[in-house]
Amino acid sequence: MFGLLKGLGITLKNMAKPKVTYKYPHEPLKMPDRFRGIQHFDPEKCIVCNQCARICPTDCISLTGKKHPDPGKKGKIIDTYDINFEICILCDLCTEVCPTEAIIMTNNFELATYSRDQLFKNIDWLHENDQNIRQDNVSMKPKPGGSKA
Amino acid sequence: MDIWVILGPVIMLFLVLGFVTYAILFERKVIGWIQNRVGPTQVGPWGLLQTVADVLKLLIKEDIIPRKADVGLFKLAPVLAFIPAFAVIAVIPFTESIKFADIAVGLLYYMSISSITIIGVLLGGWASNNKYSLLGGMRSAAQMVSYEIPLVLSVVGVIMSAGSLNLTEIVHAQQTGAWFIFPQFLGFIVFLIASIAELNRTPFDLPEAESELVAGYHTEYTGFRFAFFMLTEYTYIFGMASLITILYLGGWDAPFGLTFIPPLIWFILKFSLFVFFLFWLRATMPRIRGDQLMEFAWKGLLPLAIFNIFLTAILKEVSFLSHYF
Amino acid sequence: MLRTEEMILNVGPQHPSTHGVLRLVVKIDGEVIQEAEPVIGYLHRGTEKLAEDLTYTQIIPYTDRMDYLSAMTNNYAICHATEKLMGIEIPERAEFLRVIVMELNRVASHLVWLGTALLDIGAMSPFLYCFRDREKILDLFNELCGARITYNYMRVGGVKWDAPIGWLDKIKNFVEYMREKMKEYHGLIMGNEIFLQRTKGIGIVSHETALSYGLSGANLRCTGVKWDLRKHQPYSIYDRFKFEVPVGTRGDLYDKYVCRMQEINEALQIVDQAVEQFPEGGAIMAKVPRVLRVPEGEVYVGIESPRGELGCHIVSKGKDKPWRLKFRRPSFYNLQILPTMLKGQNIANLVAILGGIDIVLGEVDG
Repeated sequence: MFGLLKGLGITLKNMAKPKVTYKYPHEPLKMPDRFRGIQHFDPEKCIVCNQCARICPTDCISLTGKKHPDPGKKGKIIDTYDINFEICILCDLCTEVCPTEAIIMTNNFELATYSRDQLFKNIDWLHENDQNIRQDNVSMKPKPGGSKA
Repeated sequence: MDIWVILGPVIMLFLVLGFVTYAILFERKVIGWIQNRVGPTQVGPWGLLQTVADVLKLLIKEDIIPRKADVGLFKLAPVLAFIPAFAVIAVIPFTESIKFADIAVGLLYYMSISSITIIGVLLGGWASNNKYSLLGGMRSAAQMVSYEIPLVLSVVGVIMSAGSLNLTEIVHAQQTGAWFIFPQFLGFIVFLIASIAELNRTPFDLPEAESELVAGYHTEYTGFRFAFFMLTEYTYIFGMASLITILYLGGWDAPFGLTFIPPLIWFILKFSLFVFFLFWLRATMPRIRGDQLMEFAWKGLLPLAIFNIFLTAILKEVSFLSHYF
Repeated sequence: MLRTEEMILNVGPQHPSTHGVLRLVVKIDGEVIQEAEPVIGYLHRGTEKLAEDLTYTQIIPYTDRMDYLSAMTNNYAICHATEKLMGIEIPERAEFLRVIVMELNRVASHLVWLGTALLDIGAMSPFLYCFRDREKILDLFNELCGARITYNYMRVGGVKWDAPIGWLDKIKNFVEYMREKMKEYHGLIMGNEIFLQRTKGIGIVSHETALSYGLSGANLRCTGVKWDLRKHQPYSIYDRFKFEVPVGTRGDLYDKYVCRMQEINEALQIVDQAVEQFPEGGAIMAKVPRVLRVPEGEVYVGIESPRGELGCHIVSKGKDKPWRLKFRRPSFYNLQILPTMLKGQNIANLVAILGGIDIVLGEVDG
């Protein structure tokens, strides 16, 4: 009997405590810097090394390159770059292997659309997705002095 | 014919509908606060129109009747459940002057009419032709029949003290003596527990135990028919809260001589206290199991209720206590 | 003589308390269960088969999705197995980070169990309180690795991210906070007579039965068998920490509850010690080749996930992809005892017992 009363006391006490819910759709949810949201792609930096497409566990990245228009320069430049967000699991492996940080994560996560076709994002869309870009990209290196602060 | 004979019940119906609307909102708010949430806030200011929107949605929903259901009974069940729920309000006096039927056996009327609802619930469970509904209907019939007995026996003490079955008389008896919650404390506890069980609310919400039986007897009901079952449930909360106020909390009687607050306000305050208690309980308690429920009713509450009758009878004869009994 | 018929009740795959997409075909007489048969596979994704076509790094995000309530332990299983086969030494700092996140994940997972198991027996509020506190752990993980459920945090040879500045202090604060909250849970639940009535003496499993069914984790320990891989087959750096292995005596639902609650306390204690001993500086990744070619051979590692022994068996033929990968998924093994436990119980106990076993359907179906 006293157990029941104690439980009632605890629930009553919680009634006065501050609310813990977020007012999410009305107020944007701030994610920490390392948050893995939708990728931002910078065609200028891409060297068409194909590593991101190869590491992708779900094969959602497809890209093609073309010859450098300037005949004096070697190498390729990016032509098309698509990510299929129907199957992308935002695992961060593509940004991890990219040697030039051409593809990096942003903090944007709102992907809901009315049609599946719209989840197929091309190079222009990914390039324009340039808000809230992740700052801390060199993950594997230890922070100087450790972070036991 | 007096115009109020027609108009009164209509006004009452809308009052009850208004109560149900805001009781549901209040329940969601209270449970939300208890769980560190805010509850509904989106429809209307402070979420005030949330239930209105929900009911509107139910009204325009497609009316689905399962193909293999017993159509006649399926349609009859919600009506059969709701009518007694509303009919019992007829005998409840809210103040000295606001009341509908001041019949001599008001309490008996309440108890007997309210048990008709079980048939509606059982029929709904049976006619749906759904196994979960059937189990829910079975459970609720067993539960409501078992708890009816301690419920009735627990108020015998009140009847003996007041010397009347008329609800107004019972309040009068408390105005001269003490509120029955004090001399009839044992009876009050039994009545409180049995009434929660009668209302099918946590921790006795087995008939619609969500985690076991999906939605119990109204699993197959949609739209307006479902709304009727909900309405029944909350109308009974209205009825039971009024009854417990009248029987044990002195009705509209003002405590400590605070008579400058109108009697109706006192009634509403006491009434809300019970309603809040129900919601609070729902947020805290786990559900009791069927066999334990039965055991509790027959082996726990029933002897207690009978003991309370004897206790009242004896104490009534003790000279210095008889004023309170 | 009144003739009564048995009824076949189909519980799930869409049912409020089957914890996902488990289906149970239950033969009932009144409300008493005569026979129960779990039907699984509604969430089967073929992780093991898919893994044969993935490199070792690519498998890690797939393991996140097996036991999605404790993805860190899954990450650890595959990384640890690969490291063992390749003979890689892990930097100390990485080991500490791994232990901290795994133990925090254990707390988070047990909180989900506590909330849902209580929701099954009808208590609403503990569910939301548990999720309120789990949210704090998820926020910490979000800050560390950028995801709340599917962490993909560990790598073969270490971990992906170092702890952000101030993160360890937050962990310390959280441990304090959680210890305070544990008292609240105890007050809300332990003394509650209805809860005790619903759990004491329900779903009793003897330790012989538990062992013969291959149960592990709290399901085994509640029967009185003291078996915790962290203690008895130490992996990672668990041998450096002091902690107890809580065991029950009767093997009923109440013991399961007590065991798991104490496991939360023990996990918090490990986290506390790990934060205390956390090394200054140091690498978080061992030197590993860019393309992981695992030498030919087999390896089996068993680790203590919140649900029991999570095993990972790799057969490698020297390629960069495993030839065969097999996970011993504890939920799957623990679920097998369900038909035995359910016989003769009533419907109300069905959900309580199922909740007590603590299965994750993503792991059962694999």
